[in-house]
Amino acid sequence: MKPRSLTQSMSSLHTWCGLLLGWVLFAIFLTGTLAVFDRELNWWMQPELPASTATQTAAVETAQRWLEREHPDAATWNISLPTDRSPVLSVSHGEQRRGERTLLDAETGEVLEARQSVGGNFFFRFHYTLHMPRTIGIWLVGFAAMAMLVAIISGIIIHKKIFKDFFTFRPAKGQRSWLDGHNASAVLLLPFHLMITYTGLVIFFLIYMPAAIDALYDGDRQAMQRDARATSAQQEATIARGEGRAEGQQASQRGEGRAEGGRNRGERPVEAAPLLPLADFIVKGEAHYGVGMLSALSVSNPGKADARVTVRPLLGSRIELTKGESLVFSGVSGKVLQSPPPSRASQLTQRVMAGLHFAQFGGYPMRWLYFLCGLVSCVMIASGLVLYTVKQRKQAKGSRVFLNIAERLNIATVAGLCVACVALLWANRLLPAELAARGDWEMRVFFGAWLLSLLHAALRPVFLAWREQFYLAAALCLALPVPQLLASFPTDGLRLGVDITTVALGLVLGWLALKIPALADTHSVTKPRAARLAGAQQ
Amino acid sequence: MTSIAFPLSLTLAYAGMLLFCLGMERHWKQLASPRLPVRLRRLCAPLGMAALALAVYGCSRIWQPAMAWVAWFGMISLSGLALLLILPYAPRLAIGLPVAGLAACAVASALL
Repeated sequence: MKPRSLTQSMSSLHTWCGLLLGWVLFAIFLTGTLAVFDRELNWWMQPELPASTATQTAAVETAQRWLEREHPDAATWNISLPTDRSPVLSVSHGEQRRGERTLLDAETGEVLEARQSVGGNFFFRFHYTLHMPRTIGIWLVGFAAMAMLVAIISGIIIHKKIFKDFFTFRPAKGQRSWLDGHNASAVLLLPFHLMITYTGLVIFFLIYMPAAIDALYDGDRQAMQRDARATSAQQEATIARGEGRAEGQQASQRGEGRAEGGRNRGERPVEAAPLLPLADFIVKGEAHYGVGMLSALSVSNPGKADARVTVRPLLGSRIELTKGESLVFSGVSGKVLQSPPPSRASQLTQRVMAGLHFAQFGGYPMRWLYFLCGLVSCVMIASGLVLYTVKQRKQAKGSRVFLNIAERLNIATVAGLCVACVALLWANRLLPAELAARGDWEMRVFFGAWLLSLLHAALRPVFLAWREQFYLAAALCLALPVPQLLASFPTDGLRLGVDITTVALGLVLGWLALKIPALADTHSVTKPRAARLAGAQQ
Repeated sequence: MTSIAFPLSLTLAYAGMLLFCLGMERHWKQLASPRLPVRLRRLCAPLGMAALALAVYGCSRIWQPAMAWVAWFGMISLSGLALLLILPYAPRLAIGLPVAGLAACAVASALL
């Protein structure tokens, strides 16, 4: 065998990396794109809730009254404040971080009932774990992201005329059009593809590349994080003074802090002391983070002398991802006990990259740019997957069996996942509101729909399967606002935004379904077939 | 100014990409009138650069500098892709869009 050129070997690398991991990558990218609007979807998926118009100060007063009445002896209170993207007040108590949340009317303090739902969080979690056990999922997604990087770099190498073909798109020319479309969506959005893939890997750098921490800190992540943080002398003094509070601080540094430190040592009982009005802490928090930039409060040991109030900011006043960051006050004196130190260069670098990936900054204009860029990434991956089959179909040699499998998997991943995602939204509307473990049922509908689409793709002729699944997804998207209209739930800008976006996506999917005979490689073999298809449809 | 900064930046980003596109021989032939002097084509790339620079400025009116660059990359990428999709179907629209966009922004800023 004669040695192959660089382009040839890169080309096969690109094909196989892209194809085999492309199926996974499409799922990761589509759910990640939807997760850009995770809070909006959360809100949409609890349609009974009226949007709160109360200020955060009023809301926190309501929450404090309710918690003092219902749970005066709880070790911790958590209050999540109404914000623009999630206009509802919710409270919880006790140690567990994701315990039962109680939704409250921010003005009257009445308990609000809403259906259980996995919400947009499902897309977010699926995006980085693929609904597998967390560690396995994260590793698999990391592997796919590496493959994506390999595919991007090898794609750049094999692209013959990046600059000459920069703006070239020749539609209705079969394989040529698919290649043009794949190239254009890849090249024009190259900064985004590279950024989102690389920063995605950087988020879990501790999981993917633990060697340095194992060597330097014996695998003690907390010790590393302590070192990574610049601790000012004044804060060290606070830590030294704080009666064994260091442990609690580490917990909050790990980003897990619900400030659960303090009382669990139980050496000596702490005397009771009145808690300051929590509204004061809103003012203090806003003085630090800016007006309207707070997301949550938590109180540990309310009603005791060692009560501490933790104020958490909304993410997004800067690119740096400041998850888990907080200001800690004494709940009795109102003094600042701990304020977030500025990150050191190394930590800042990692957090800025993570922030670039999480897209919490810059408000809605930025969110939309990320969403659209994410959709183009999905199109890029999908067009690459289709391109493989279009190319193979024309070649006489090569395994027909594998081509057949690839075609069916393409349908189930690309069209099938679209169907499954919108099926999840439908499940949210149609399942009885009082169903036990309702969130699990929603997920069952999602995976059930996806499995059915695989079955459908396996049984139907390829072009019909593409068409029917896209039609189904389009119809489901277009009709999605109907149950909402029938049930006359309260409507607001956020929910309307979700509805309008879904309908717009439905129109695109419907257009795709209409175009499929033309999009299929209409040379020689397939042309009569496509014509037959068009006839069969009528 | 801030309220129209987003559409204005987007229009400028698109205009910049369009000018770069016109600067390429293939697309000059496709889009420009044959009566126009070819010398004009060489002006396109520098003008495109200027439009993209103005788009950065527009973004910096909405976001702090670091975020402005992120948004700018997103805008030029997406508007470049939009241009590429419009080109084969409606080349006139491709040229008319930035003009319409600028006009709309001017009207909006006059009204607001």
